[in-house]
Amino acid sequence: MIRHLPALLVIVPLLTALTVSALSWVAPRLCLPLTFGCIGASLASSIGILVEVIKSGPVVYTMGGWSAPVGIVYVIDYLSAPVLVVVTAVALINLIASSKQIDRDFSDKKGTFYTLYILFVTGMVGIVATGDAFNLYVLLEIAALTGYSLIGIGHERAPLSSLNYLFIGTIGASFYLLGVGYLYIATGSLNMADLARFMAMPEHGTSTMVMFAFIICMTGLFIKMGLFPLHGWLPNAYSYASPASSALVAPLTTKVMIYAMIRVGLYVFTPAYVFGRLQVGGAMVWIAVAAIVFGSLLALAQKSLFKMLTYIVIAEVGYMVGGFFLGNRMGITGSALHIINDAAMTLCLFLAAGAITYRTKSDDFKDLKGLFHQMPFTMTAFTVGALAVIGVPPTCGFFSKWYLIIGGIQAGHYGYAAALIFSSLVNAVLFFRIFETAYFDQPGDGKGHHHGHHKHHKHKNKMVEAPVSMIVPLMITALGLIALGIYTGDIVTHVIQAAIPGGIA
Amino acid sequence: MKITGLLTVIICGALLTYYAMDFPDFGDGRSPANTYLSPHFLENTMHDAHVPNSVTTILADYRGYDTMYETTVVLTAGLACFFLLRRKESTSPPARFFRHVPTGLTLRIEEGGKLPAENSKVFTRIDSLWAPDSLIIRNTCRLIIAFVQLFALYVVAHGHYSPGGGFQGGVLLGSSIILFSISNDLRRTLKRFREKTAAVLGAIGVLIYSGTGFVCLLMGAHFLNYEALSPLLGLKTGDPMARSHGIFSVEIGVAFAVMSVMIWIYYNLSSAGKHDEGL
Repeated sequence: MIRHLPALLVIVPLLTALTVSALSWVAPRLCLPLTFGCIGASLASSIGILVEVIKSGPVVYTMGGWSAPVGIVYVIDYLSAPVLVVVTAVALINLIASSKQIDRDFSDKKGTFYTLYILFVTGMVGIVATGDAFNLYVLLEIAALTGYSLIGIGHERAPLSSLNYLFIGTIGASFYLLGVGYLYIATGSLNMADLARFMAMPEHGTSTMVMFAFIICMTGLFIKMGLFPLHGWLPNAYSYASPASSALVAPLTTKVMIYAMIRVGLYVFTPAYVFGRLQVGGAMVWIAVAAIVFGSLLALAQKSLFKMLTYIVIAEVGYMVGGFFLGNRMGITGSALHIINDAAMTLCLFLAAGAITYRTKSDDFKDLKGLFHQMPFTMTAFTVGALAVIGVPPTCGFFSKWYLIIGGIQAGHYGYAAALIFSSLVNAVLFFRIFETAYFDQPGDGKGHHHGHHKHHKHKNKMVEAPVSMIVPLMITALGLIALGIYTGDIVTHVIQAAIPGGIA
Repeated sequence: MKITGLLTVIICGALLTYYAMDFPDFGDGRSPANTYLSPHFLENTMHDAHVPNSVTTILADYRGYDTMYETTVVLTAGLACFFLLRRKESTSPPARFFRHVPTGLTLRIEEGGKLPAENSKVFTRIDSLWAPDSLIIRNTCRLIIAFVQLFALYVVAHGHYSPGGGFQGGVLLGSSIILFSISNDLRRTLKRFREKTAAVLGAIGVLIYSGTGFVCLLMGAHFLNYEALSPLLGLKTGDPMARSHGIFSVEIGVAFAVMSVMIWIYYNLSSAGKHDEGL
């Protein structure tokens, strides 16, 4: 069965999703165990593939027995294998952490929620594993459609912001599809490796059609990942949704889209074309700088936790896009490493915010007072996540940021390095402001003094921690952030260095 | 804001058109799209799968993996509609309308009034918006529906030889039920084709597709490699008919999925998720 692992990775979730969908009408009690089993199996098989790839190089699987370019192939290499592990791990941790939240928010439609959840993971895993440019689009559709519906149920303006996301996201996906169409007209092929072979030919390297295909493909992906100034859909979509959905969709969608950008840039259009011929790097890094500065400043202006986190996500997208378009080994290493780290950090922060809103029913800053005393475990994990986002060693955030800054300096792009440092400082301000409120301020300050301060104080500081099923996954994620930081060296030398094609200095 | 939007659209459109000028001429036999893979598909479809319609071979075999996910997209759309729209708690309208069948009179019964029995032959419930009792529409549709369904089966079965296949056949099947619902009403349709049936059948349709692929995997070949089905079908190994039958099996799955999801989406959209009064 080992040789079928690349297919099973996607097929097992798909078959389970369909079974869960049918069973939700017949035997709803079986849905949850099946969902757990299937996401767990996906995680196990993606770890299996990662080990296999590290041991004996990239794995290729032909669907239907038709080899490329006639059929569709799955290629799992040094770039995709670690991202696969991240996607499935995030999905599993969030599923455990959100089980109570799912009961609360989706009580009458749990079966359908699980189906959409698994299909979303299937789509994401497929995007990462595929070696076919069109197949990527098809799986993008699955991931997007399920994402829109998961996000559509929540509070306040959730359905409207999901509709907004649907319009913008569809435009993004169509742009990518158009780009693939232009490439097909120019070359006649859809296979990524085959397209890369064509790109080496001079007539394609100079074709304006191919150049436009590059521009429109990338624009589509930029819309999907929420790169400034195409980020308009992101903050509302992620902050009004149920925390059970947003802690799945927010860490994965943007990161997997960045993976797709790196995949398309390095393995379809080839570095020689993107960084050598087109020379778009400089301009793109400046856009990334704008994204970082804009995201950080707007995060500073927010008054609620989820909104602030969404603007941090926008700034982080800028980190990774900028790192990639620096076009040097350090920058791309940092960018690829940050996909892993940022997925983990975002998961940690969203889970913590989810646990807080589960108890306090509000994520407004003024309702965070005294939270360190009431929810010590949640706030500890939140602190670790915050330190990672700020970039304090030994958390993982420090190391990827280090690679990115070195990359910026090596490329002579000091503006980018400065933006990273600026953003770290702003993040420090952001989070220490929250720590101050949550640690030093007493809940109910400014009112209720006449009750007799001491009694009031004691009552409010009673521990009201979130359920254990939320705390344990959250703690695991927080420890994971430190573990990722400690093992950065191994991840970079054994996996990511091998993922970057030769010829990038 | 409107001006910015308009300008963006115009600029995008102009760029798309400008770069489209580099395209090869329409019908150019020497363009890459026509010379690279297309000849392979056209020349080998009979040899590989014994299917003369090369579009079907590409869709369901060479790139069958994509089509499996396209079918899943259809199911996902149905699930999304259900997930976002369906309301289980019944919010009964303040007044209900009934038709007294022998006389054709319409009755309006206010909330709290005594309603006729559920299975009453004399009174039938009608939608509150507008529901004329049209003998012509009901009987014409009753006549047409059977033929639409028969033609749908023909389209599904003949995808190998003529334009058609699971998607088209499934849409036809779905539209026949929707036609019934439009010519009668939603409640009567729901009695004949329940929501549960639509939901379960949709999932089963895609399961037939991916299950066919999974059986290939269990038989030792790669996923969706229909060649591996030949022992199960009593064919010699390497007989292209195995692929032909494999394609037929997935087409049936697609037809089930598309039909049920069309109906399911119609139920949820037409009644805003309440399944009480539809179009």
